[in-house]
Amino acid sequence: MKGREQMARVESVQGNYIYLEVQGIEYRVYFERNGKGIPLICQHTAGAEGRQWRHLLNDGDILSRYQVIVPDLPYHGKSLPPEKVEWWKEEYRLTKSFLIDFHVALSQVLGLKKPVYLGCSMGGSLAVDLAMECPDEFRAVIGLEAGLSISKSMAQMAPALDWRDHPRIGNRCTATRMFGHTSPFAPEAFRREISWIYYQGAPSIHKGDLAYHFVEHNLSNSQVRQIDTSRIPVYFMTGDYDWGNAPEDTMRLVEHIKGAQFTEMKGLGHFPMSEDYRVFRGYLMPILNEIAAT
Amino acid sequence: MKIIFLDPTQTEYLRNCINDDREFRLAANAFSKDILLRASDTKCIIKVRDGVITQIRLNPAPMDPWSFCITASAESWTKFLQLCPPPFYFDLYGSVVRQNFEVGGDIEALFTHFWAVTRMLDVMRQLQNEPVKENSDERT
Repeated sequence: MKGREQMARVESVQGNYIYLEVQGIEYRVYFERNGKGIPLICQHTAGAEGRQWRHLLNDGDILSRYQVIVPDLPYHGKSLPPEKVEWWKEEYRLTKSFLIDFHVALSQVLGLKKPVYLGCSMGGSLAVDLAMECPDEFRAVIGLEAGLSISKSMAQMAPALDWRDHPRIGNRCTATRMFGHTSPFAPEAFRREISWIYYQGAPSIHKGDLAYHFVEHNLSNSQVRQIDTSRIPVYFMTGDYDWGNAPEDTMRLVEHIKGAQFTEMKGLGHFPMSEDYRVFRGYLMPILNEIAAT
Repeated sequence: MKIIFLDPTQTEYLRNCINDDREFRLAANAFSKDILLRASDTKCIIKVRDGVITQIRLNPAPMDPWSFCITASAESWTKFLQLCPPPFYFDLYGSVVRQNFEVGGDIEALFTHFWAVTRMLDVMRQLQNEPVKENSDERT
């Protein structure tokens, strides 16, 4: 090749497959990791995959103190459906119990001791559920764009779930809608990248993930009052440009969890870690510093 | 300031700009529908044929057919078309979820062509915020 000689730019992110048994079924799960120190598991949003966390996986300030681990859930990204299930004959439907068991199994198989959990949207809902269901398994949870349940206005749109897996509506609709979930202030290239990832997800999987996020995740005030933040510190962060789960929606959750901390992120939408990482990390670093100091 | 799609001095310019937009041209393949846009009591119908806007008809007759509609108050449209819209006004789907906008008619067609419709609205937003000229025809 003629012309300017290129220097190799290789990221230190490592990708691996691990075999994980969850609820009696074996899955070949893809995950990426980087860094050393306190384990930090990052959960992608519904219908997406771990590439959403690529900026954090390359953040030297975090990697010097945290081992960042980003799995693709089964059926998502590079994690194929299981070999021993006739998944093409069943409607995919993600459940809270599967998500919890998946994360507990992943930590156990990787030999992680009390990892920090960080998840967005559906992953933010899981932060609440982990704090309620298995507070001693995690060092802390951080929920991005999380709420008690989806907002009333979103609940009215629940029938629109069927549009997400429809024979005459292609993935370009979902990709466009996810673009519309990002902040107009975020760099366009990163907003488009979020669309790109959604172009590549199976429509039935997005819909099935939302069965957990939109329907099963429907907590009452009294349920979340049971969360004991002396056992597991709980943090929430929500972008003021997230119309799907706005800051006031997260506040309705936070006000019932004694000791939970909430950060409103200005100028960010529903995918803060992907759409504008530079702004997002400004809000995240103080929280990670606090967790590392405890 | 008039809402650009309801301004008779702007409709041809608007139509040409959307049709010339590279992303709209990609997004609008196989798009042949009539879109009713309503701002308070004023409305227009945007006719799309084979991915090209062939007409923006202001003040259509009550019986003029349309495929799907996008409706909001003039105040909501004005917020939506700001260069930096406020939260809950920057995206069509989000504006509907947060009940600032309504959609109706053939929703399946709207979702089928959601990319093209979204891009069309984004181009409208850009043009709405261009410096005003006396006569838009000079810009075409």
